[in-house]
Amino acid sequence: MSAAPNKVPFDPGRAAYVTLNVVLLGFLLAPIAIVLVFAFNPTPYISFPPVGVSLRWFDKFFAGSDFMNALWLSLWIAACVLVLAVVIGGACALALARGNLPARGFFTAFFMSPLMLPAILTGLALFQSYLLVGIGRPVWGLIMAHTLIAVPYVLRTTLAVLHNFDRRIEEAAAVLGASPLRVFFEVTLPLIRPGVFAGGVFAFIVSFDQFPVSLFLVVPKGETLPVVLFNYMKFDLDGAIAAASMVSILLALAVVLVLERLIGLKAYVKL
Amino acid sequence: MDRNIVLRHDAEPMAAASRPSPIAWLIAPALLLFVLFFVLPFGVMAVMSVFSGNPVNNPNAFLTARHYMRFIADDAGIFHDALWATLRIGLVTTVVSLLIGYPLAHWMARMQSRAGHVLVLMAVIAPLLTGIVVRTFAWMTILQDKGVINTTLMSWGLIHKPLPLMYNEFGTTVALVHIYVPFMVLTLTGVIGRIDERLEQAARSLGAGRLRAFVEVTLPLSLPGVLAGSLLVFALSISAYVTPSLMGGTDVLTLPMLIAQQVGTSFNPNFAGALGMILLLVCLAIVIAYNKILARLSGEQGLA
Amino acid sequence: MISRRNALKTGAGLAAAATVGAPSILHAETATLKITTWGGKWGDIMKASVLPAFEKEHKCTVSADQAFPFLPKLQASRKNDPLYDVFHTNSNEQWSALTEGLVMDKFTTREVPNIADVYPYAVSDKIVGVTIFTSAIGLGYRTDKGLTPPKSWKDLADPKLAGQRGGYLIPVNSLGQCHLMMLGKIYGKGLQDLDAAYKALEQLKPIKLVDFTGQMEKMLLSAEVSEGVIHDSGVYRYEGDNRQPVDFCSPTEGVMALEQVLNVPPGSKLKELAYAYIDYMLRPDMQKLLAEAVWYSPANKKVKLAEKYDAKLLTTPERVATLIQPDWKWYNARKDDIDARVTKILKG
Repeated sequence: MSAAPNKVPFDPGRAAYVTLNVVLLGFLLAPIAIVLVFAFNPTPYISFPPVGVSLRWFDKFFAGSDFMNALWLSLWIAACVLVLAVVIGGACALALARGNLPARGFFTAFFMSPLMLPAILTGLALFQSYLLVGIGRPVWGLIMAHTLIAVPYVLRTTLAVLHNFDRRIEEAAAVLGASPLRVFFEVTLPLIRPGVFAGGVFAFIVSFDQFPVSLFLVVPKGETLPVVLFNYMKFDLDGAIAAASMVSILLALAVVLVLERLIGLKAYVKL
Repeated sequence: MDRNIVLRHDAEPMAAASRPSPIAWLIAPALLLFVLFFVLPFGVMAVMSVFSGNPVNNPNAFLTARHYMRFIADDAGIFHDALWATLRIGLVTTVVSLLIGYPLAHWMARMQSRAGHVLVLMAVIAPLLTGIVVRTFAWMTILQDKGVINTTLMSWGLIHKPLPLMYNEFGTTVALVHIYVPFMVLTLTGVIGRIDERLEQAARSLGAGRLRAFVEVTLPLSLPGVLAGSLLVFALSISAYVTPSLMGGTDVLTLPMLIAQQVGTSFNPNFAGALGMILLLVCLAIVIAYNKILARLSGEQGLA
Repeated sequence: MISRRNALKTGAGLAAAATVGAPSILHAETATLKITTWGGKWGDIMKASVLPAFEKEHKCTVSADQAFPFLPKLQASRKNDPLYDVFHTNSNEQWSALTEGLVMDKFTTREVPNIADVYPYAVSDKIVGVTIFTSAIGLGYRTDKGLTPPKSWKDLADPKLAGQRGGYLIPVNSLGQCHLMMLGKIYGKGLQDLDAAYKALEQLKPIKLVDFTGQMEKMLLSAEVSEGVIHDSGVYRYEGDNRQPVDFCSPTEGVMALEQVLNVPPGSKLKELAYAYIDYMLRPDMQKLLAEAVWYSPANKKVKLAEKYDAKLLTTPERVATLIQPDWKWYNARKDDIDARVTKILKG
């Protein structure tokens, strides 16, 4: 179903629409251009116009075992959080939208509340509780903390899609004799995929970029990348953090690309 | 996808009157997670907020309402302002993010080419991956007095002294909007993508202009996305503290900044806990009210 | 999916986490000394040479926490099972910790023999625990903007510097707090003359305030700020190939002390090892190594630094005498009031 209006030679409305969006994208990407300059600029601070091109900050980043360990740990945690948050958040969204639960308004607000608290307080509260219970600061504790913060995103995005979709499709499938399980996997799941995908991307990113919650929950030699970068920056605010940023962008984009391939957002958005 | 009418809608009221269906059990994992890792820890925080010190290591700590009284009395005259500033910044950030995010989401959802879609998706997500501190430093480079914008404008002779782009609420909001637009876009794309394009085309074929077709068809149908995205962005921006503290200079003081100060430099987790509880309660009230109003406006239940 | 390799990599983190929960079991084999320490170049040297050598000497392992903030973590742990055995912070935090009974007051030469060799400031009545290094807080300035190099703290008030002077967010940064006290001293009756300090602060508007010292360094380097409050190490480190058009001024009224202090929580189960660590950090060879890496002035007076460091750092009794130590006990007791007051003064 190709769009017919595109055939028109010049369409001012369409041109304005595309221009507006390109400008908005420019707003989103401008700071990244700055980070790029910072990462390749040989001076230890951001200078304009850039004075040259150098890979010294990338060298420094890849040579630092702290950086690399932290990068792998962050990726690993973010992957766990992605899976957990999608399963827990997705299930929760279905329950809220289809379960005929009483007090749904309360539950949805309740599941949103971790987002409304300054994350530093969430981190401190969890840290204090872990110490009280005597479990110390295990990696799974950090993963659960991130999952807690990530679930609201999955819930939100999935609920938004669930709300919009025609329930009669499911009912039709059931009427035609499909088992509830089959209805779920063959009708409901494909339909909510865009929401779950968006939520999954959020979950991954929120964990990967999580600083305040991790702050109290990481242990020496088990620090995530944002914590390492933050502490690094307190002493050496140089291009290494920009290089780290570029590496993170590329890695995380690769993950998103793989996700997109696996879940295939586009196909389901269009239908 | 063919949406031929198969069943009539009269099954709905019956379902609503019935008991929770087995699907309701799917809420269990989330409930367990939240009870263990949210309710209990914040129970600890709530307890801390009514104690004079940390009861864990201070046997002399006693029950007191003084942290809450301190906020309510606000002798120093900064706490109420901070709460107000927090809400104001959150509101402005949400509205601006929506204005920026909606066109982008619409563009993405309606894009025909898969490659184009992936490219825009990456561009939208990329800002989230720069890392909070690096990203904020990039904004400082753009907005500060010797930053890209002011230097350029001055070298063109358009201005003679730097525009106040940073060290105030403006700079804080710009940086916050930048981080939170992607959340808005991704939430909206999923919803707009699910709206059948042919509905809009049908409206146009009936003589409606493109804008009118959008306003009367697509926009109302995308309201759940608008609501979800706005709530996400609002919740995120009222709890942000790294960005306001780096961008706001002396002009901006928000509740999360105060909380971070109480934890990290005044070493008073009890007062920080009380401030956190206050922020949470205020926001929950706002969110619930917002849900109610929107549900009434759209004539539907459970938009949230 | 999670690869086995990555899982193994995080294993190290898990092992470290396990020791927090169950220290006593591991002590049977090798003790794990839990310390806090700085990151950056300091952290690199610590991890590359200082800590491995200590572990070898004392047949123990050291778990070094570099993630700020340290005191809230210590506050959250039980007193009889503290999160750290050695608590390394700036002086103001040590005082806060002392009021809550989280650290010890003073050490003797019996516990830490090298204390016999430190300058008096390192164990003065303004210090809890013992200072191992100090930096001088003074003024950093651009040398390429045609400024007359500052001589006095009062030079920061020069009207020409409006909007180009830099300071710190006073509630969150101890350099900002030091500066405020200094304002009381030069414009009023002394470090504790807050009214004079508030008035002087008002005169410094418009001023660019930052969160931490690294940010001030960048503001100076990118000329966003032409003159600002900073510690000497933050300027001196840009030397050699890294030279930048900035310099440091020790004002005639004296410099404020930014001390690195070590202390031991009273509940530590490894007190002897903790004392040994403090003593080790005060040893001349370690002092020289770290001082020359990050331009901190060593507290041990027997340390002989290389010429270029010796020329600039506080390594003689005369220069040490210019150090002014704030009374953090006094300041911390008033911090909330001061925070509220300066927030109002600087807003708008």
